[in-house]
Amino acid sequence: MSELMQLLKGEGASIEAADDFEAINELTRERGWGDGLPIVPPTAERVERMLAYCDRAWGEPVAAIPPRYGAATPLRLAANAVMAGCRPQYFPLIILAIEAMCAEPFNLYGVQATTHLCTPLIIVNGPVAKELGINSGHNAFGPGAQANATIGRAIRLALLNIGGAIPGLGDMSTFGSPAKYTYCIAENEAASPWEPLHVERGFPAEASTVTVVGAECPHNINDHESVTAEGILTTIAGTVAITGSNDVICADQAEPLVVFGPEHAATVAAGGYSKADAKRFLYEHAQLPLGKFSEENIERGLRKRFPDRFANAGMDALVPTAQSPEKFMLIVLGGAGKHSAFVPTFGLTSSVTRALKLRDGQLAPSVQAFRRA
Amino acid sequence: MSELRKRGVATAVICSGPFLKLGKAQARVFGVPDLPLIVIPHPLGGISLDEVKGRAEVAIPQLIELLKEYAR
Repeated sequence: MSELMQLLKGEGASIEAADDFEAINELTRERGWGDGLPIVPPTAERVERMLAYCDRAWGEPVAAIPPRYGAATPLRLAANAVMAGCRPQYFPLIILAIEAMCAEPFNLYGVQATTHLCTPLIIVNGPVAKELGINSGHNAFGPGAQANATIGRAIRLALLNIGGAIPGLGDMSTFGSPAKYTYCIAENEAASPWEPLHVERGFPAEASTVTVVGAECPHNINDHESVTAEGILTTIAGTVAITGSNDVICADQAEPLVVFGPEHAATVAAGGYSKADAKRFLYEHAQLPLGKFSEENIERGLRKRFPDRFANAGMDALVPTAQSPEKFMLIVLGGAGKHSAFVPTFGLTSSVTRALKLRDGQLAPSVQAFRRA
Repeated sequence: MSELRKRGVATAVICSGPFLKLGKAQARVFGVPDLPLIVIPHPLGGISLDEVKGRAEVAIPQLIELLKEYAR
């Protein structure tokens, strides 16, 4: 306990409080340290158990979280993970996710402070998903699995408490979103007819990865009629092509995410479509005529922002949802049911994928490899 | 803006009302807690050109005061 006690002597590192669940929750509510739900008091004992799965110096920041650029040390991240209700073995993924979203291409500053309702979605691939019991099937986006619920919540609490994403002060989201409570899933690799996201991005299948996406909530795509690949993809394309979309308005780097339910994925793959083929179809068909946008969005927005394409274009000119087929992200998720989902993004953000690695750079075969000897 | 301010250039950031607290907080984060903030009514986006000119009319007196202060 002595290493932790040393760290806790630092200014502001700890506070004394009565050993009372309600009193501690009252205190954290007063200080604005929570998401509105009860938190697990981050006592020294609980924080130390969390840090058992940390293979680096507890006081060394792994990142600075905007907009406050607070130092995300393992100690602070562990406190937020305890508050969220995480098991200690989740901790390596929490550190990895924070590192990924603090990478420059993600633009966490924008994602945190914007009036848009986006929040980081954490997609887990590889063996760690099963090891930690991260739900990839029925209700994966919803409640029920401790791993999904608490890993996502730990991230949100860290973004709030360390990053300063306080509603109306650092987090200017006009109305927020339920995904800001927690947003963590594992891709359903077993049910996917295609290569998983991390393999598509060049990682070996046996690597465990997190991919962070600056994302809106999922929007359902119901198709109980189509029996062909083209049919399913047409329905998806029609749902994806919308006005009022950051992916369209903030186009350059936008990576709209399409989540295939396993039944839809099976139909599309059975039609001979690879992931790349599906992306090409979506790119070509998820386009809206210029005339669908408001006059102001056309004259002050699209014509000015993309003059090469739209300066003199007629109302029939097509406005794409992504700048190329490769910009579409595809994953497979969920259980039985003829649904897929569209997850629009913040647009001004690029997804980042990071592999779970040990200090020596080797891929971590298990979270147990992070345990302190 | 914080870089410019640190170099001694007369600098200000324009904030609409709801973003004032964020502006002040970020000025502190970037090491320029006294960075002048020019306050205009919200919103600036999605308004007519006349309304934009109205916002400028609110900003200009504040800018003039700032520059006078700077000249002293």
